[in-house]
Amino acid sequence: MKKALLLLLIIALLPLGSALAQDMPHAGVEIVATYMQSGTYDVGAENIEDAFEAETGIELELVASPWAVLNQNHITDLTTGTGEFDVMSGEFWIASVYDRMLPLDDLVARDGFGGDYIPTIWQPGPSGYFDGKRIGIPYSADAYGIVYRTDIFEEAGLSADWETWDDYIATLDKLAMHLEGTDIAPSVFSWGAAEQTPSIFLGMYDGYLVDADGNYALDEASALAALEKMASLLAYNPEGAAGLSIDESNAVFLTGNSATMICWVSFMRASAQNPDASLVVDNWAVAPFPGPGFPFLSAWNLFISEYSENPEAAWEWVKYYINPEQSTQRFVELGVGSPYLSTYEDPDLMDAYSHDFPGMVHNLGRAQSVPWVFEAFEIFFRNTSELVIGSISAEEALANTLAGWSEVTVPPALVQSAAAQGQQQEM
Amino acid sequence: MRRRKSLRQRLFSVIHAFVLALACLVVIVPLGYLIINSIKLPREFLTIPPTILPTEVTFEHYQELIDDKKTVRYFQNSLTVAVWTTGVTILTGTLAAYGLARARLSAKILALVTFTFLFIRFYPRVTTVIPFFLVMRQFDLLDTVWAIVIGQLGITIPFVTWLMLVVFQDLPSEIEEAAVVDGASVWQRFSRVVLPIVMPSVSAAAILTAFLSWNEFLIASSVARRKASVLSIAVASFVSDKGIQWGPMAAMSVVMIVPMIVFALFAQKYLIRGITFGAVKG
Amino acid sequence: MPWLIAFVLPAFVIVVAVQFYPLAYSALLSVQEWSLTKSQAPEGFVGLENFVKELGDETFRRSVRNSVWITGGAVVLEMLLGVCLAYLTMGSSWRMRAVRTLLILPMVIAPVAAGTLWRILLNYRAGLVNHLLGLIGVQGPEWLASPDWAIVSVILLDTWQWTPFVLLVAGAAIASIPGDLLEVAAIDGASRWKTFAYIELPLLTPLLLLTLVFRMLESLLSLDSIYSLTFGGPGFSTYTMTFYIYTQGLRNFNFGAAAASSWIFMAFASVSIALVFWFQRKDW
Repeated sequence: MKKALLLLLIIALLPLGSALAQDMPHAGVEIVATYMQSGTYDVGAENIEDAFEAETGIELELVASPWAVLNQNHITDLTTGTGEFDVMSGEFWIASVYDRMLPLDDLVARDGFGGDYIPTIWQPGPSGYFDGKRIGIPYSADAYGIVYRTDIFEEAGLSADWETWDDYIATLDKLAMHLEGTDIAPSVFSWGAAEQTPSIFLGMYDGYLVDADGNYALDEASALAALEKMASLLAYNPEGAAGLSIDESNAVFLTGNSATMICWVSFMRASAQNPDASLVVDNWAVAPFPGPGFPFLSAWNLFISEYSENPEAAWEWVKYYINPEQSTQRFVELGVGSPYLSTYEDPDLMDAYSHDFPGMVHNLGRAQSVPWVFEAFEIFFRNTSELVIGSISAEEALANTLAGWSEVTVPPALVQSAAAQGQQQEM
Repeated sequence: MRRRKSLRQRLFSVIHAFVLALACLVVIVPLGYLIINSIKLPREFLTIPPTILPTEVTFEHYQELIDDKKTVRYFQNSLTVAVWTTGVTILTGTLAAYGLARARLSAKILALVTFTFLFIRFYPRVTTVIPFFLVMRQFDLLDTVWAIVIGQLGITIPFVTWLMLVVFQDLPSEIEEAAVVDGASVWQRFSRVVLPIVMPSVSAAAILTAFLSWNEFLIASSVARRKASVLSIAVASFVSDKGIQWGPMAAMSVVMIVPMIVFALFAQKYLIRGITFGAVKG
Repeated sequence: MPWLIAFVLPAFVIVVAVQFYPLAYSALLSVQEWSLTKSQAPEGFVGLENFVKELGDETFRRSVRNSVWITGGAVVLEMLLGVCLAYLTMGSSWRMRAVRTLLILPMVIAPVAAGTLWRILLNYRAGLVNHLLGLIGVQGPEWLASPDWAIVSVILLDTWQWTPFVLLVAGAAIASIPGDLLEVAAIDGASRWKTFAYIELPLLTPLLLLTLVFRMLESLLSLDSIYSLTFGGPGFSTYTMTFYIYTQGLRNFNFGAAAASSWIFMAFASVSIALVFWFQRKDW
């Protein structure tokens, strides 16, 4: 009797079961996704891991590693064809393995994905492309910016509406006079984090990064002028600024010891409004990043590995993690810059971030990523760093960089990225 | 009547005390500052002048570690790796050293074997990371603590073998001769006569191996992903591409250091005695 | 004899099994052209070209020079301080035992954490070191922003962390010098300095040399601490040989170049190890 009842029950439930299976075409599938361990992107993923598993039936494993280890793991995995990771977090640093990533154009078109992105971020460069096909979906966006002390600017009768670096430097001169006799420096920057110095250079430089033949190159006259101008900025910084790391530079601004700071905004935004971490709460704002160059863009992408056995399930995670709602939530909760316009147009947020959004949107709209593999990047930043500490001249820094670059090949994907962003020399 | 110390002797003892106090300060001050950093509010990290006594004590950084369930796993993994690496290393390394010391090998062969061991010990690990990864994949050991243990054994066994080889070579062979006359086997000679004498050195080698294994980063980071991640990777993870999370990093460092300090204090007498016995040739 | 071979076998098998393939692979790569930005697989045998290229590479040569300064400075300091402290902490009173325990603590800190700790201590204006120097009226240098002081900073970190190693080994060695030898010398009226120079030092020399070579190779190989203290900077100031090999191998993925420079390093390491053997042989 009991057995018969049970059987009946099972038969009754069968249609329901198959309906569930239709809703969850990937139920039981296991996928692995990677993130940088930073307490931001990775935490954002962990926060929605359970909900994703419940809704899709997919078993998701998240792997977070420090920056250097993350890149190393990806490249090891892809070059050895191990296929351990289905979804990978990365930027252009791993362009040498872009050919091992799955083209996503069909999936993007099928699901109508990608509508409301900030246009600059949805293009090749910030978005991973290989051989003309999209392989990466951006999930974060941060542009170099200049933050300034609204109270000090008001006191001094200055406004932060510079368009060029010369305008900015003229403002610093006025600030220097106004602040004379105080401990407050006109400007601060993380000069000691050598890999950051190219960000200022890129803002000042007006020329190509890849020549017509697809090799790393610079317009020498413009580059030289930019290098010299960059080095001259150090004089407006507090004593000993040549050794400041990113945190140390942030701390100078947050403890009220500088009137402006050139920085990644997403890395100071949360601290700056936290009274436990900052003395400048409500007294700062984001200013436009001066030209003629562009603000350096950091945009993390999700890629799907060519070796993934479950690309459809992987794509489910990509869509679940990257969308306007999630991006806005990550911005609010974790300070991660959103690549979607809607975040910056949300009326409540616009109100709460009135000091932050106008400048940020302006900068993101102009921001570009660079076509440098790490080796090219390092040759350049080590030499600019030598220039900053006065070991070599701007001419030497330029000559050393170009000599070093002559040994480095630009991966095809990054030549395309440069071309798409107008960074390639015209024929 | 008590003899008064000469001026020179007194001067010497004052200088002696002063130098030792200075040396202790050089060790204590940075360590103390690390502990202070772990209970500081973020805004007091890089103040000018530095905040030596925080105005407000916070345990938020420790709380974060405790709340993160991964911390416990890192801790367990580090412990597993250290225990297994140390155990296997001491067992095989001590045996090998004894074998090499007593095998009456020709000087050339002995030199060759020892040289091979040391060569492997000092080969830059960054270059062998990828082939090692491939081997581990072949045996399906990626993301297991065993891959880390196996990788570390390649460094620690040569180290311990070298250390213990010196110890056994110093040991006068007369000690064993009586046992030989009694008809004891090699194993009996080793386990009953030799081992008890060199135990302090074995302890010293074990302690140094445990330190090395506990702090090792490169091998662990190349084969561990999630399940097998360890504390040394966790500490490094507070350094991101946009800066350092000082508070949590300090707290994690303290968490990581404490067991080793306790271990060091506990084992200190063995360490000193072990090295005394082992490293010096009569 | 078979027994003794059986003793050696487990260790030998493990070490060779774990390391043989990686080493052979690396040897193979050192004579091949392979850079990941150019190709996904090795591009064929190039003979000694990688070696010639590395030896002529300005960055490599500079990294070798930096390594020589940093390791040279650190190891000399460690040996001097270690031996001095070993003498000063002799004895078995509780006070001396406590001091010795305290002094070995820097050795147990993970190098990456030690590097970060010193980074904050050596901050120019917000660092504890310059603050303390200021209290005694000394204006501290820009530790991490000046090329020369950055080298000094790395030397300081290495010395802080590894002097305990020398202290332990040397302390043990000194304690084991037979007391009657020193008494005889004292009766003969030898001064403390002469006793040290003519009796103790010769006895300690072989062991100290061994420690020296061990520390030297370890220091040349250190990566985590430099990575977190200076990241090789400012500029190329503290860009060491190991940092170079790491960058070539695991950041730029120039596998051929990384393998070749590793073998150049091993040529040097082999000579050092052979020297230790030579000294040990004389002693046996």
